[in-house]
Amino acid sequence: MNYGIVLKVLGSLLIVESILMVPSYIIALVTSGKDKNAFLIAIILTMATGLILSFKKGIKAHIRARDGLAIVTFGWILSSIFGAIPLYMGGSTKTYIDALFETVSGFTTTGATILSEVETLPMGTIFWRSFTHWIGGMGILVFTLALLPALGIEGFQIFKAESPGPVAGKIAPKLKDTAKILYMTYLILTLIQIALLILGGMGIFDSLVHTFGTVGTGGLSSKNLSIGHYNSSYIHVIIGIFMMLSGINFSLYYGLYKGKGRLFFKDEELRLYLAIIAVSVVAISLNLLATSYERLSTAFRDSFFQVSSIITTTGYSTVDFDMWPSFSKGILFMLMFIGGSAGSTSGGIKVIRVLVWLKLIKREINKLFHPRAVIPIKVNGRVMPDETIAGINSFIALYIIIFIISSLLVALEGVDLISASTSVAATLSNIGPGLEMVGPMRNFGDFSQITKLLFISLMLLGRLELFTMIALFAPRT
Amino acid sequence: MNVIIIGAGKLGIKLAKLLVEEDIDVTVVDKDAQVLSNLNEHLDCLTAIGNGIDIKILKELGIAEYDLLVASTESDEANALICSLAKKLGCAKTIARIRNPEYMQQLDFIKAQMGIDLIINPDLATAMVIERYLLKSYGFYSDYFASGKVEMMDFNIHSNDDFVGKDIKDLKGFDDLLITAISRKGELIIPNGSTKLMRDDIIYIIGNCNEIRKISDSFGDGHRQKAVERVVILGGGNIGYYLADRLSKEGVLVTIIEKSNAVCKNLTEKLDNVLVIHGDGTDIHLLEEESLDEMDAFVGATGFDEENLLMALMAKQLGVGRAIAKISKANYEKIIDRLDIDVAINPVYITASDILKIVRGGKVISVSLLLGADAEVTEMVIEEDFPFMGEPLSSMRLPEGIIIGAIVRGEDVIIPKGDSIIVEGDRIVVFSLTEDLPSLKVFFQGKKGGILGELWNRVKGTR
Repeated sequence: MNYGIVLKVLGSLLIVESILMVPSYIIALVTSGKDKNAFLIAIILTMATGLILSFKKGIKAHIRARDGLAIVTFGWILSSIFGAIPLYMGGSTKTYIDALFETVSGFTTTGATILSEVETLPMGTIFWRSFTHWIGGMGILVFTLALLPALGIEGFQIFKAESPGPVAGKIAPKLKDTAKILYMTYLILTLIQIALLILGGMGIFDSLVHTFGTVGTGGLSSKNLSIGHYNSSYIHVIIGIFMMLSGINFSLYYGLYKGKGRLFFKDEELRLYLAIIAVSVVAISLNLLATSYERLSTAFRDSFFQVSSIITTTGYSTVDFDMWPSFSKGILFMLMFIGGSAGSTSGGIKVIRVLVWLKLIKREINKLFHPRAVIPIKVNGRVMPDETIAGINSFIALYIIIFIISSLLVALEGVDLISASTSVAATLSNIGPGLEMVGPMRNFGDFSQITKLLFISLMLLGRLELFTMIALFAPRT
Repeated sequence: MNVIIIGAGKLGIKLAKLLVEEDIDVTVVDKDAQVLSNLNEHLDCLTAIGNGIDIKILKELGIAEYDLLVASTESDEANALICSLAKKLGCAKTIARIRNPEYMQQLDFIKAQMGIDLIINPDLATAMVIERYLLKSYGFYSDYFASGKVEMMDFNIHSNDDFVGKDIKDLKGFDDLLITAISRKGELIIPNGSTKLMRDDIIYIIGNCNEIRKISDSFGDGHRQKAVERVVILGGGNIGYYLADRLSKEGVLVTIIEKSNAVCKNLTEKLDNVLVIHGDGTDIHLLEEESLDEMDAFVGATGFDEENLLMALMAKQLGVGRAIAKISKANYEKIIDRLDIDVAINPVYITASDILKIVRGGKVISVSLLLGADAEVTEMVIEEDFPFMGEPLSSMRLPEGIIIGAIVRGEDVIIPKGDSIIVEGDRIVVFSLTEDLPSLKVFFQGKKGGILGELWNRVKGTR
């Protein structure tokens, strides 16, 4: 491994992170919260470590595949370790592991929390928790590379390891331009939503917090009742729509901007994504209407919000969907695995992989009728290479294996099977709330420290799409 | 600037690398997904799978927004067609690679009719370089600049006592010459006054033409050669054909050895005064029969690098004055300097140099890539927007990898020192390492460097 360059990039990452803590520090100062000294110490510590790591000058080297994996994995771990300092030192959590859980949950845009009482937290801490969603949504390292092109580092290995989906696609010839376009899209989505929420009567601070949670598909809120705190259909619908928009491949927006509107709606992944949402919303609405709900409009509104929240792996809630009928809960549980589109901020298996999987199944059936038929797997009119398909297959297999083993490990604590399996799905797919013990009105606080560590690694595994981390720690073959 | 390259062959990939190093946006289109995914790992460029003749793909990529298209697929006809299509679809400039000798007569017509801005022929360009080298009277590889006033040459100092173990500043007769680089075991070193020369270093000297000639005479170590009269060419492909044609017109006796009977027949139809022999060029008996040892020069121009290199080595051993090998893979470059071959020529670099010149625009007169494109020599004219006009060189703070080798002012050649200045209308010859190229932009773009300058350029670029 090329330690020089790995350390240098990690150092720059920490420097960037310490700068990103400044807004939270300012908020803590202005509100004179009890966390203001914690932020100051965290900023100084992070900055100092970053400067020491990136001290070595003039390293210009090619980043090999292994270096890229190391940079991304350790980058996420390190930024979580340092990002947890203000939470722990500010007294928001009892133990450091709890603080780490919150921070990893933030950066990986999971939105799971161990805190039952959010509203009494200092403002700076609330802001920092949500801001980590926003940073982590698009990838902290790509952010660093975009900010510091002067590093002169070929970042494709990093980009590849950090961007969600089976194939990392550039939209501009230069990586830094690609990152710029993606961040521009991200920023525009963010600004529009903030404006719309403020118009809807939400306070500026809460608008920021909830927008970060939405476009990053995170799900941490400043309210105990999540979005359910707001008794406004307008706010529910706006957040519901923006969650859905954040689950769409960002490069499609760029195509739209470039005037290729027809291609936008012809994208097969987008079509399947929208179809899954539509079918789930209709099914849940009808199910709700048949049981507890009286009006179609509210059933529709709540089911749309929840479907949008779960499939994009955001994790906001307007109602306690743990109280919904089993059929509806079953659909949500299934959506937890599917996740959003590749190239978005969401987690999960990703719609594109599900799409390829469905096509593979269709091909197998066709082959029974025409054993010698040659049937390529095509996505958007292009034949998908066999290696990519093999990659998708092993990804899904690994996902299931990790899901089963982790569920068993959690079950060791003596919790029921639904709690165990949904808590694993909720962290591995970076959603946040699950069902039963980890339902939307409850939290992860009751698990033991060891299990929390397991959840922390599941969140990181899920965000970095399994192989990045596993490959680094696997023995050389 | 936005460049699209169709065809990720050797030329396409090398060109993409060189352009990316100059901070140009590059898109590469090829049919082979595997080649493109490898390229993506190593190069910051956009790749697209598909056939470049497909109008749908060209449109999808937004061909109208590109400043330059280079068509370098396998097929001449496809290249011409791609250029023509792209031009009609709104691409600003197009370059096509066309290699077939049969098209050479009607190139101008093709260019005009199909809207191709430039046709490059790597095989012809290679043949011309070899010809130039063979017809010179001494045995170093060299290049001319400023219409022959400035010359750069390289030679191996072997164990010559005048050089080995000496500091550069102590060398005699080097007052009006500049040693720009040393190639030591495949590594390129930019020397300063106190750099010590070592055995088997290859030094690159730049200077006034006459001075260079003096040096090559005095230190030439018997390298001065008789004029080339008899040449044997291994391989009757395009390069072999072009070279034989050109040399025979200069009155050189040329023998071509070619394996394929059909190719031999074709060659004899087109070439007069050239001896074409049908046989395996690696067959030592055949070579003896054709009295290889009496030849003045050997050129290995088959499609196989290994064959060219090994046969050139053998020719050298048999006592042939000059041995030249054509190579096309970049992989062997690091060891070629250590072989006893006079010149190894890679057509890709010659072609890439020509394209770079076009990319850099009007002020640049010529670009020559050296040493596996790790370094290059650029010749350009200084215009009024040059930021360091009238300032001494020492205050320009050039990076170590950039050396101004010569300043040509009117008829005078100035070998610059720290206090030399550059004025408008000068032609300068600059030696630069590829990795320092971005700093060289100051010269041909005439913009101040630094962060502010960068930002300003971006702002201007987005307008």
